Amino acid sequence: MTGSNPLVRDRDVDFLLYEVHNVLDLCKLPAFAEHGRETFDLFLRSAAKLARDSLFPLFREMDEQPARLVDGRVHEHPKMGELYARMVELGIVTAGRPEEVGGAQLPSCITSMAYLYLMAGNGGAVGYPLLTAGAGHLIESFGSDALRELFLERMYGGSWSGTMALTEPQAGSSLGDITTSASPIEGREDVYRIKGNKIFISGGDHQFLDNIVHLTLARRVGDPAGVKGISLFAVPRMRPVAGAPEQLEFNDVHTSQLVHKIGWKGLASLGLSYGENEDCRGWLVGKPCQGLRYMFQMMNEARLLVGANATATASAAYHESLAYARVRTQGRRLDRRTGADSSGPVALIEHPDVRRMLLRQKAIVEGSMSLIVASARYADLAEHHEDPARREQARLLLDMLTPVTKSFAAERGFESTSLALQIHGGYGYSSEYLPELWMREQRLNSIHEGTTAIHSLDLLGRKVVAKGGQALMTLAGVIGADIQAAHQHGELVELCEAVTHELERTGKLTQVLGARGLGGDVIGMLAHSVDYLTLFSNLVVAWQWLRIAGASCKALQGPLADERRAYYQAKVEAARYWIRTELADNARLAKLCESAEDSYLKVPDAGW
Amino acid sequence: MKILVTVKRIPDPDESLKFAGGGLDTSSSKWVPNAFDEYAVETALRLAEVAGKRDRLAEVIVMSICPAKQRQHVTQFLAMGADRGVVVDADDSELDTIAVSKAIAAVAKSEGVDLTIVGKLSQDNEGNQVAQRVAGLLNVPQAGFAATVKWDKNAGTLDVGREVDDGVEHKLVPLPAVVSVDLRVVLPTSIKNGVTADSHKYQEGPRLASLRGITMAKRKKVKVLKLSDIGVSSAGSEQVVAVAPPPARPSGQIVGSVEELHEKLAKEAKVL
Ligand SMILES: Cc1cc2nc3c(=O)[nH]c(=O)nc-3n(C[C@H](O)[C@H](O)[C@H](O)COP(=O)(O)OP(=O)(O)OC[C@H]3O[C@@H](n4cnc5c(N)ncnc54)[C@H](O)[C@@H]3O)c2cc1C
Repeated sequence: MTGSNPLVRDRDVDFLLYEVHNVLDLCKLPAFAEHGRETFDLFLRSAAKLARDSLFPLFREMDEQPARLVDGRVHEHPKMGELYARMVELGIVTAGRPEEVGGAQLPSCITSMAYLYLMAGNGGAVGYPLLTAGAGHLIESFGSDALRELFLERMYGGSWSGTMALTEPQAGSSLGDITTSASPIEGREDVYRIKGNKIFISGGDHQFLDNIVHLTLARRVGDPAGVKGISLFAVPRMRPVAGAPEQLEFNDVHTSQLVHKIGWKGLASLGLSYGENEDCRGWLVGKPCQGLRYMFQMMNEARLLVGANATATASAAYHESLAYARVRTQGRRLDRRTGADSSGPVALIEHPDVRRMLLRQKAIVEGSMSLIVASARYADLAEHHEDPARREQARLLLDMLTPVTKSFAAERGFESTSLALQIHGGYGYSSEYLPELWMREQRLNSIHEGTTAIHSLDLLGRKVVAKGGQALMTLAGVIGADIQAAHQHGELVELCEAVTHELERTGKLTQVLGARGLGGDVIGMLAHSVDYLTLFSNLVVAWQWLRIAGASCKALQGPLADERRAYYQAKVEAARYWIRTELADNARLAKLCESAEDSYLKVPDAGW
Repeated sequence: MKILVTVKRIPDPDESLKFAGGGLDTSSSKWVPNAFDEYAVETALRLAEVAGKRDRLAEVIVMSICPAKQRQHVTQFLAMGADRGVVVDADDSELDTIAVSKAIAAVAKSEGVDLTIVGKLSQDNEGNQVAQRVAGLLNVPQAGFAATVKWDKNAGTLDVGREVDDGVEHKLVPLPAVVSVDLRVVLPTSIKNGVTADSHKYQEGPRLASLRGITMAKRKKVKVLKLSDIGVSSAGSEQVVAVAPPPARPSGQIVGSVEELHEKLAKEAKVL
């Protein structure tokens, strides 16, 4: 480690929240009227502190001492309980929930940045509160009063945790194929007997709290196959004893397997076996056969936070490599190799290629952070704007940006983290240094909460073509307005033109692909869905960089101390970098999608 | 019992210093609470509370001398759990150590506090004068650099452990008193108030301002006073002559042998 890594730079968070995305405008909405900058600052400062002082110091240790499965129980890292208590005390579990349930109703813009800090410190450890918050929110939104009383207070209060139990060995990407079953129990209306197996359930067992509530997808006996027959159940590991609800008894949920993983070792991923003794009860949440729809609330929240995790991981790695590039000396400057000018070795940061790797990381990390704030802002507006039309518009945009925010951060965040390793040279490949660990951690983000392929199909097959392309047109309107705003700064004209051009290209391409799908050529439409996702992400992140560059140019108009000036100038350069290199790649990507380039489709099966 | 804790905001010590016009330029600084004041507030809270219960053995008042509009640090300490605040509205230019000490003593007196807890120094100028001066002005005993504090309620005394060169020195001070605290005071068992079990282990370090605390802090009372309200005239006894960065450190040398090292230390560095 080189010095103290800020993990996420405070100034970047402040800049994005207040100078780029004008988050304080949200406080004009009645839902957030109680809040202001002071609350946001203090909360984020506490989150940063917890990340830097408590979570990060245990990051390497939790990787080296992973959870173990002994006699059917998981033994987590001994400090996990204490970390959990601190995160609960901070208030992260209920930060965004209303006061009635013990929350503070902070905007998602703020809670997502708090998560960003925490996850940059130790992503696995933050998995526990994140899952508990999402699972609790499901019960809060869809559960009966009785269910809330049974579970919610204890989950939100920090004494029980929660999980999302969807995946089964035969049903990962395709949840329609789950087989976990729920049979009615005579005389109990909403309680069912659960039987089946789940796999990869994060936080599925631990011993630092008394109980774990698994929000489980299962099919009631007799309900239709496929996604239409899936219901949602709250299945606690320990259930309240009938007649003495303060006492708990085992609910026949067994830990059948601990997955040995390459990262996220602080958060055990487990095989769960329900009802081995025919004695596992599950409480139906909401109405039957609505389970997947309900679960989408948690999945969508989690997707934005997977994006935040990927960004956080890349951010920590970026700052590590930046510090390293400043202190490690090697080689001479290209233009001063010999002669009188040749001095001693220079810092890595003086080499053009190292600068390329740094700026690429910066462009990915900060572009992605901005996209998270933008998406979170739409989540806030979709939930809390007073005008129903604005709510609907925000919902449309949020739904479309969710797969991008998740997958961009995951895919490019991995590239970015790999560059951080590269800057460390041979030391980066050594486990004495952190980049290799961040890379292992980062790799998960393009797999869980839907693989990149699944998100690309969601984006192209559903989101951009929904309602005759209404979401895409709405986005084009928003981006167009931001281009206009940026256009007033002379030095951004070139960038504005490039983004305008690519926006048009994306619109046309989407029309072509949509028409192809409507015409029945679904493979021709979707075979390059990941290329389309990449193209779309390049554009959306270019839009973010244009906004950042606009805010920076605005700041640069006033008198500024040297350091501040440099701060904003670097943003403008990063915007240039992104638009001139990554966005420029959209021409190639569009060609692949539009021509339905078919090499991999054509490989004969026996030819692989 | 009433405990007064002094708190200060300082330019973020992690940021690099900027100089202008022969002094420090703090115009674009990020302001953060002084870390030793966080330890002081944590000390007060541990003395005042009964761990795990709502009961309180003391009222904790945080006071700061700062521009009244820039008191986020006070809100932070209220969010940590202090009961109320006193802000003496003054600009840094009006302050020097004597004015600050007098203001604190005046508030301590008017509030009738039994204990004043102060961070051992403020990280910006590392003066380490305020505790001593306040004790002098109030004419009460003081114990500096506390690493442990044990409160005997019946006797009305504090047993203050201080780490000194040759071990730990314990001072038994009768209340009212002034105590300045050092870093180790926030270790898990450094504070004992006679009611929370002596074996109770706090989390290491000062507690965070939780979201619940932040929301509650907004409803807590903060009294705003002017220096003139408490009979303190502004600075005048200290003058900053100049502030300048230290000279850059010359780069290191690699020596070929122990003999050469010895020679250089003796002749060039003249330290042997
Ligand atoms: C560490 C970890 C933690 C996890 N935590 C949880 C959890 O808490 N709860 C939970 O329920 N699940 C969890 N998961 C499961 C995770 O969500 C699944 O692994 C993921 O959805 C992929 O499913 P799968 O592993 O069965 O892969 P598969 O679905 O078999 O996919 C394999 C490959 O095929 C591709 N593929 C599959 N279907 C298609 C398609 N239709 N079109 C194109 N390509 C396709 C995928 O993109 C992938 O590349 C976790 C997984 C891991 C590794």
